[in-house]
Order: sequence, then structure tokens, then C-alpha cells
Amino acid sequence: MSVARAHEGALGHGPRGAKVRGTLFYILLLVSVSVGFILLFTLVIDVVQKGVGYLDPIFFTEPTSTDPDKAGAGPAIRGTIYLMVLLLVMAVPIGVGTALYLEEYANRGRWYNRLLEVNIQNLAAVPSIVYGILGLAFLVRGIGLGRVLLAGALILTLLVLPTVIVASREAIRAVPDSIRQGAYALGATQWQVVRRQVLPAAIPGIATGSILALARAIGETAPLLLVGALTYVAVNPTLLGSFTALPVQIYQWIARPQDEFRLLAAAGIIVLLAILLTMNAFAIWLRNRYQRRW
Amino acid sequence: MSEMESAPAAPAKIPGMDEKLLEARGQDAAPPREVLFDVDDLTVDYSGVPALKDVSLEIYKNYVTAFIGPSGCGKSTFIRCFNRMNDLIPTASVNGTILYHGIDLYGPEVDSVEVRKRIGMVFQKPNPFPKSIYDNVAFGPRVLGWKKELDERVERALRHAALWDEVKNRLKASAYSLSGGQQQRLCIARCLAVEPDVLLMDEPASALDPISTTAIEDLMHDLKREYTIVIVTHNMQQAARVADMTAFFSVEVDEEQDRRTGILVEYDDTPTIFTNPSDKRTEDYVTGRFG
Amino acid sequence: MRVTLQEELDQLEAALQEEGALVLRALRGCLNALSQSDVELADEVIAFDDEIDEAYLAIEEGIQSLLARQTPVAVDLRLVLAILHNNLHLERMADYCVTIAKLTKLVRDVPHDDTLLEGFEEMGQRAEEMVHVALDSFRDRNAARAESLVDLDELIDRANRRVVGHVLSLGGGADLREWGLRMIIVSRCLERIGDHAVDIGEQTAYLVSGEFREFTDASHGPGTTPRDLR
Repeated sequence: MSVARAHEGALGHGPRGAKVRGTLFYILLLVSVSVGFILLFTLVIDVVQKGVGYLDPIFFTEPTSTDPDKAGAGPAIRGTIYLMVLLLVMAVPIGVGTALYLEEYANRGRWYNRLLEVNIQNLAAVPSIVYGILGLAFLVRGIGLGRVLLAGALILTLLVLPTVIVASREAIRAVPDSIRQGAYALGATQWQVVRRQVLPAAIPGIATGSILALARAIGETAPLLLVGALTYVAVNPTLLGSFTALPVQIYQWIARPQDEFRLLAAAGIIVLLAILLTMNAFAIWLRNRYQRRW
Repeated sequence: MSEMESAPAAPAKIPGMDEKLLEARGQDAAPPREVLFDVDDLTVDYSGVPALKDVSLEIYKNYVTAFIGPSGCGKSTFIRCFNRMNDLIPTASVNGTILYHGIDLYGPEVDSVEVRKRIGMVFQKPNPFPKSIYDNVAFGPRVLGWKKELDERVERALRHAALWDEVKNRLKASAYSLSGGQQQRLCIARCLAVEPDVLLMDEPASALDPISTTAIEDLMHDLKREYTIVIVTHNMQQAARVADMTAFFSVEVDEEQDRRTGILVEYDDTPTIFTNPSDKRTEDYVTGRFG
Repeated sequence: MRVTLQEELDQLEAALQEEGALVLRALRGCLNALSQSDVELADEVIAFDDEIDEAYLAIEEGIQSLLARQTPVAVDLRLVLAILHNNLHLERMADYCVTIAKLTKLVRDVPHDDTLLEGFEEMGQRAEEMVHVALDSFRDRNAARAESLVDLDELIDRANRRVVGHVLSLGGGADLREWGLRMIIVSRCLERIGDHAVDIGEQTAYLVSGEFREFTDASHGPGTTPRDLR
């Protein structure tokens, strides 16, 4: 009987204190979301307002010049695109290959494999300027490659590699072991299991991770500066020739005294943002399209 | 000769009467025993700790043999020895011999990939590949390099697995569009497509509903005409229904070292295990008084 | 579905019907031996009982194995239990045939009464008919036909009671009276065979309806169920 009494009236509202705390917490969450969103929104609006006026054909084709009305980011945009392609060609195969080795072939018990794993984690944390110094010392000067596009691409590859490896490992790990067991049980060799089951199933995850890694690399400025993305490049970049890239160009424009160059920089930022957004959107689309429910 | 023979009201003496009486014992006349696997003193360790020890028995051709026992008794570990799937576990080590057609499966010249082509396995949870129904069944033959007559092979395998009629019009559909019971039959078809001798089934119906389970059991009854089947099941009534021979495994507890090791307690034809087992532990288990 | 279970049930039932055929042969044999005082035939009937015992054991073992392995329920369970009971009834019938044959041998040198022997032939035919009806109605799951066994049994019962009266009215010497006493036992055997046939009919009704009911209860009126007595 007394039990029933203890809960009498409990179907109504509970103690006011708990409800107030709940509401406060909710408001706090909303504030956090808004802060980030509002900041981003403000920045974007500001940039677009300033730069949109300078987005004309000249901007996309002409090289920079001392005259803001004639200045463009043609070589810079080309440089960025070439870097992206080179990254794709170099970072993705090496990254996926490493991930496959670590997940499918490596014996975790061996010391060199554990060393490899630890190093990859560390590399992801290294500041990008260090990569720049590395590139300068070994690639530009050490082997005498010079301040060329290839050097920039190589350095960015190193920068991006840990991310690609981690993303690929996650995608490979996401393939359930039951699939592998099923394939082995049918008399497939390890290579057949990897090539016909694991890799095809992991590709969407690998692709998404790679694109996101590439998108990050596009915005890197410091290593490119050190490896020689020259501030004044009038010609279109070639593999073993001098080059520049969009972030570098933006940086250089901001450093100029004239106000118009700041507006040009804003235009450059818009283009950069557009490229980034497109890449990210593509990655998300890929992930949604191929999302598997095991 | 006598008036008994010419009695008008009763039928004449039927030749082969004794055979029919034998059949009335309620068993399918089981084929004569031909040894396919000869297991001798098998022990399996994980990182040095024995999970299963001193197992010796014979598996007969075209029989359904069931391994039953409480959890942790090593029956799954044991069945995985027959197709060398334990090789995939780095910490596992297998000692003893398993002779298959007289050859030791763990001998130095034996390639585990070749073993698995002849000895197939179906797992507890259906694990179809993330591909179409056709590609699932065709995977085995393709991997083996059997590129010709792929369509016929796929159809034959699906018919053998009693799945053809249900999927023949949607072979390109994803394997995940099938129900659980159908997926498991697809996995069986996948195994059959490589034309093995033996089908190992590790709790094949434990993830399925009762109707699918009965379908799988009826399938085993058909398949044993052409294949030898070994099944692990924690459902002993299932073993009673489908198996010709039953092996009961139990757990030996070592208090001092805090170890639990699996051992083979009794291995006999199924009617004997379920009507009059020799070992009290077996009787305690099948009557449900275990533990 | 459950192919194995169905096959085994079919096999058990077939074995039961075959046992029934054996019993009919034994019955005809002992009746012929009786009416013709054929001692050789009587010996054959006695030897033949071994075959029936083998059939009985085979079915017993088959049922034990099936119950252990297939755990039948509902109608399958009732079928198995019905076969178990009928197996016993058939075996008892066969034993009564052996008794009749043994009695035939015992009285071979003793005078007999033809009227009574004719009467036994008629009773025997009635018993054969009952065994046929019992087996057929079981096979066909025909409960109505199974119930008709009660009326047939009534005829045998009446004939059985008349035998006593007839034996008492036999004149003649001690030999004939001895024969008469033995014949009462024969009559009793035939009456019991009829009763077992009725029991088989009751199993048919049980199989079909799921309820066990005695067609007639010796101590109560006809159609009383054990339930009515609760």
C-alpha cells in the first residue's frame, strides 16, 4: 500500500529543478552550434562581398601582375589542379597499398610492423611547415630537384599520406571478417580474397577518405612556400618547372599594399572555397551512395 | 508346402520381408561405413593453452555426423580443423593427425587452399558477399578458374540447395534482398558450386526461424546422398533429427590452472546416443540435466 | 517438410500392417488346424509365432528410436502411440492363436463334436473379419467404421456364451467332456481376439479425434468416456 502512495501524483510534472536544468543544457547546445555557424557564415559573406566583383575571365586565365586590374590567378589555379592530380596518382596507391599491407598481410607480432604503425600515427601529427623544411632540405637541395612542381607534389604526398592510410585502414577494417572467412572457405588464396572481396568492398570508404585528405592538402600553404612556389610566376606550371598555387597566390596578394589586391585575394578565396566545397560534397555523395549495411 | 503358405484369406509370403522389418526400425537404411576422415589424437591450442585435446574418431562417407555439447567444449574449433580454417588464426596451433583419403591434412606437402576446395564450410550467420546472387554462387568457380559453363554451374548449385525456383528470375538482384533462410541456402549453393566432397556446417540454422531451420534440415537429408556432412549444433534435438552419427563433447575443468579444455566423451550412432548412451555425462546432457 | 519424420512414420505404419497380415495368416492357420485336427499345421502355427514376435520387437525399437530422435507432437504423436498400442494388441492376438494351436494338439486323440467345430469356424470367420476391419479402418483413419467393430464383437460374445451352454449339454464320456472344457478355452481365445480388434478400433478413434474413449465399458453402459466418470 505504501508503495502506491510514494508514487501518487507522479504522473504529473516532476520536480522543477530537473526540468530547468534540462532546458538550460539544451540552450547551451544551441549556442555552441550557432557560434560556429554564425562565424563561418559571417566570414563567407564578407569574402563573397569583397571578391565577387573580381571573378571575371581575366581572373581565371591571366597571371598576376603589378596592376590589380590586369592581375589574375590563372597559373595559380592550374598549379593547384596539377598538384591535385599528382597527389591522386601518388598518394592514393601508396596509401592504399600500405593500408592493405598493415591490415591484411602484416603479422602484428613483429616489431617492424608495430614500428610502422606507430610512425604513421606520428606523421599525421607533424606540422606542415616541417614537411616544408624536409622538402627543402632533401628534395630541392639534397637531390637537386629544384623548386619545381614535382617537389611540391611529393611533399604534399607525404603530408597527406598518413590521412589516406588511416582512412583506407578504416574502410578495410569495416569489411566484416565473415566475408573473408566465407571467401577463404571456398578455396580462395589471400590475394584473391583481397582483390575480389576486400578491396571492392572497401573502395567507397577509401575514395571518401582520399578525397577528404586531398581537400585538406589543397589549402596547405607553408610547405609549398618553402619548396618554392614562387610569388611571381607568369607562365603556366610544368612538372619540372617553377610553379605556384592558389593559397600561395592569395597569401602574396594580401601582402601587397594596394587595397584592390585584398579584393583579388578575396576572389581567390572564393575559388578555393568553391573547389573545397565541391570536393567535400563529392566525397559525401560517394559515401551516401555506396553506404553498405552489412 | 504347408497350408500356412496356401491360406486363402492372407497374402502370400512376401520375399525380402526381413529387409522391410529392418527398415521399420525407423532408420533410413544407412550406407555401409566407409571411413573418410580418420582423426587421431587431435589437440588444438590457442597461445599454448589447450582448447581441445586428445580427440580421436572416424567420419564416415555420406553420413551426417553431428558434434554436440555445451558451449566452450571446442566443437567449433574441432570442425574448423577439417578445412584448416584454424590456420587463419595466428595464435592457433593444431597437433595430431587428420587423415583424409589416407593423407594427413596437416602434412607438410598439403596446401590449405587445395583442402578448402574439397571441403567446404557454411557458417552460423549467413555471410553472402555484397554482390548479386549470381556472382555469389559464381565466385567459387571463378576463383578456381572454371570460366566455362558458369551459368550451368550456378543453376545446378542453386537447384541442389533448393533455392533455384525462388531466385531464378532475379539472379542479378543483391544477395541481401533475400531472407535469412534464403541467404543461408545461398551460402550452401556457393559451397556446392565448387563441387566439394564434404560440407562442414557450423551451427547452420541457429540464426534462422523454425521454418527455415526445417528447410535446411530437409536439405541435409537430400545432400547426404552425394556429400558427406559434418555439423556442429548446440541444439541437440536438431542433431537427433538429422544426424546418423553423433559425437558428444564436454568441458574438462582444471581448477588449479583455471583452464577449461574440450574433450570427446562419446561417439556413436544417433539412436544409441539418444536412447541408451554409454557414458553418464552424455545421458545427463541429452536429458537436460547437465550442469 | 520433415521428410525424415514422415518417412519413418510411414515405415512404422507399413510394418504394423504387415504384422497384421502375419496375424491373419496365423489365425487362419490355427482355425484350419482346429477344424481338421491337423497337428502338423498346429506346429507350424506355433513356430510361425517367432516371426510375429520379431515384427513386434522391430516396431517397438522403431518407436523408441523415433520418439527419442524426432520428438513428434500432435497427430504424429498420437499416431506413434496408437501404433505402440496396436503393436501390443496384434502380438496378443498372435499369442491366442498359438494357444488355440496348442489346444488342438492336446485334443488330437480325443473325440469331438462337429456342431461345435462348425460354430468355431463361424466365430473364427467373424474374428478374421474383425481383424480386417480393425486394420483397414486404422489405415484409412475411418473412426465410424472402427466403431462398427463393437457390433461385430457382440456377435462373438454371444457365440462365446452359447458355447458354454452347448458344452454343458454334451453327453458322452469323460473324453468328450475333457474336449469340451478345452474348447471353452478356445472359445475364450477367439472372444479375446475380438476384444483386441475392438481395442485397435478405439486407437483409430483416438488417433482421429484426439480423445481416448472406450467403445464399451465392461462395468458401465456403452459410450461412457473415462471423463464421464470424473
